[in-house]
Amino acid sequence: MSDVTTVALVGVGGQGILLAAAILAETASAEGLEVKASEVHGMAQRGGSVLSTVRFGAHVWSPVYRKADLVIATELLEGHRGLRLLERGGTLVCAATTRIAPGSVLRREEDYPDDLAAATDQRGVRLLAVDAEGLAVQAGTVRAVNVALLGAASTVLPFTEESWSRGLEAAVPAKILEVNRRAFALGRASVSSAETRVPSDRA
Amino acid sequence: MERILFLMGNEAIGYGAVRAGATFACAYPGTPSTEIIETAAGLEGIHAEWCVNEKVALETAVGTSRAGARTIVTMKHVGLNVAADPLLTLTETGVNAGLVIVSADDPGMNSSQNEQDSRNYAKFAKIPMLEPSDSQEAYDFVAEAFALSEEFDTPVLLRSSTKLSHGRGQVVQRAPVEFEAREYVKDITKHLMVPQWARLRNRFVIERLQRLRARAEESPLNILEAGTADFGIITSGVVYQYAREAFPDAWFLKLGMSHPLPYRKVAELYERVSRVAVVEELDPFIEEQVRMLGLPVIGKEAIPADGELDPDTVFQALEPYVTATPPQRRLPVFPPAPRLADPPPAADLPVRPPVLCAGCKHRSVFTALKRHKVAAMGDIGCYMLGADPPLNALDSSLCMGASVGIMAGFNEALGRKASVAVIGDSTFFHSGITPLISAHYNGAEGVVLILDNRTTAMTGHQGNPGSGLRPDLTEGPAIDIQKMCEGMDIRCVTVDAADYPTLKAALKTAIDAPGLSVFVAQAPCALMVRENLGEIVVDEERCNLCGLCLDIGCPVIAPGEDFVSITDGCTGCGLCVEVCHRGALTLVGNEGTP
Repeated sequence: MSDVTTVALVGVGGQGILLAAAILAETASAEGLEVKASEVHGMAQRGGSVLSTVRFGAHVWSPVYRKADLVIATELLEGHRGLRLLERGGTLVCAATTRIAPGSVLRREEDYPDDLAAATDQRGVRLLAVDAEGLAVQAGTVRAVNVALLGAASTVLPFTEESWSRGLEAAVPAKILEVNRRAFALGRASVSSAETRVPSDRA
Repeated sequence: MERILFLMGNEAIGYGAVRAGATFACAYPGTPSTEIIETAAGLEGIHAEWCVNEKVALETAVGTSRAGARTIVTMKHVGLNVAADPLLTLTETGVNAGLVIVSADDPGMNSSQNEQDSRNYAKFAKIPMLEPSDSQEAYDFVAEAFALSEEFDTPVLLRSSTKLSHGRGQVVQRAPVEFEAREYVKDITKHLMVPQWARLRNRFVIERLQRLRARAEESPLNILEAGTADFGIITSGVVYQYAREAFPDAWFLKLGMSHPLPYRKVAELYERVSRVAVVEELDPFIEEQVRMLGLPVIGKEAIPADGELDPDTVFQALEPYVTATPPQRRLPVFPPAPRLADPPPAADLPVRPPVLCAGCKHRSVFTALKRHKVAAMGDIGCYMLGADPPLNALDSSLCMGASVGIMAGFNEALGRKASVAVIGDSTFFHSGITPLISAHYNGAEGVVLILDNRTTAMTGHQGNPGSGLRPDLTEGPAIDIQKMCEGMDIRCVTVDAADYPTLKAALKTAIDAPGLSVFVAQAPCALMVRENLGEIVVDEERCNLCGLCLDIGCPVIAPGEDFVSITDGCTGCGLCVEVCHRGALTLVGNEGTP
């Protein structure tokens, strides 16, 4: 089990979770690892919660696993939800400025959860809070939140830049490849410069 | 004075249904089941319909049951394949008034293309199965089936076979069962099988099967009949009569309720005799379960696995075993009750169910529909999302195309236009056309609302006969629903789903008019066209948070402290502007929309 890494990608239907998972899977594959992935289609894509799992290692049996080593969340509330998949010492990479209120919150029946940093601290989880939306806009389209975030997450994954490049090329349609390359690069660059926002030193 | 009738098994089922208080019967004819409906149609107090196929018949029956009428639906064995789609979800929703499904098997293929054993469907659907063995039981068991159906909230299968259906015998008529029509209560957690509710109902189904097995152990339909020989026979249906005649001295476990199998009653027989045989036509349905208990049994190695049986065949098959050395005695091992998956943890974070997209033009249909006091029988696909709060616009979703038959049955049972059907274009082409034909033929009341976005949206925008688009992106003919309806002489109106005032008026006209009609609302899928028609501007003085615009369930309208605000993702469809009574919302249109 220990040589298999499990990455959970969570977000809101329509945010491109499937594409991000595909890029990650192609990248791991380019590294010569065995990869298995599991995704949710259909109902979940009409603005519902979406979960994709990518597992890679020397040999992978199951495409699903209840816990993850790394959670990539394209939305804040889904980041809170994804936190439950992490063990102590795991990492959450979250689009910290992306808030999409579900109907019950819009109707004020429920509260949008507050303070992600406190929640991650409490669970002993490392948080990479990324302004993925800002980076995506900077790259050229707000729709690249998923890939900007993946760029940030790439700093905690053991893959070379060349493999990431091949992963992007394999999974992203040619028409939007360049804007996504930019978003990825901005995301990757943002982490070292935003180290102060990582509360793991406090954990 | 009780009058003794001399009835064919099928006639007995028809009489038994009326005696049991059934007021609706439907079917597609199929040998050997056909005479049940023909008999019922000639009796007082029950309305009978031929539907265009068994799937539509079962869905129509779901509608009448839900409206509160005891309902019997009949078919031959291969017809149950056609009805399997609604059946396998009907087991989850259960019933309101009792719903009995008769499946008549045809061992020997007297007039069928295959042999199949309907009892497998009872196992598959986890529902009870009754098997009468003569005309009197056929008559009596119907009332028992209705009682079980209501007590356990389940459809009940009643299995016949050619020699029961077309055999004749005396029937003593019993006092009619008093049955009061049940009231319909909207309950989407029971009637609308989207994943979140279906998961809960599925747990109910698994637990219900355990309770049914306990009932089978106690049921007076399952009888251990004492014999004098050291030989026992487990059997069900008309085959019981063959075996009883062949082996008058044997012990018998006669299973009138053959699914779920009463394990302890089986074990009880093994305490009385040292040799046991299972006599059944077609599959080793009971035999396999007895073997699962670890008990030695004589089954299909002796009794033919194909064709019809008769007393002589049964005698010839089992005679060598009656005096053979008994197998070594073994104790039964009863299977434990199944464990259910751990329930999901309580949601302490706001859940995020899928929603009807911002800018979906078909939201207007739900908004207009909510103005009418009719139940809305929904279908499969995006439009199930109209059921969620705050729209709360649907009552039901069963399986592909079921909305139309359920509507027809519901309205028939209540004698008025108490419901409409809501179905997408692709689902309509999938299996909404046959129930429309059936409803038209049977003179049903109703309006079939077809929300036509010219694509199969939920699965990812595949082509369909409405768009003509094929998987290889070549174009085939695009079928015009309006013309299709006109060809069948069904009243049809087609409106622009984006034109709310016209749509609202046209829907009122359609619902108010007597008879059956089709109402097509057209607008392309918002996810495909990705329009940006403009910006909604909120007049903060005029908005008083009355909630009318919030009620349309648009995911981008958010209430604030004093007025609503429009969040990201608005396409400028303008429906909120239409429903606002205070003129607080204005659409500022984009020029040169991309």
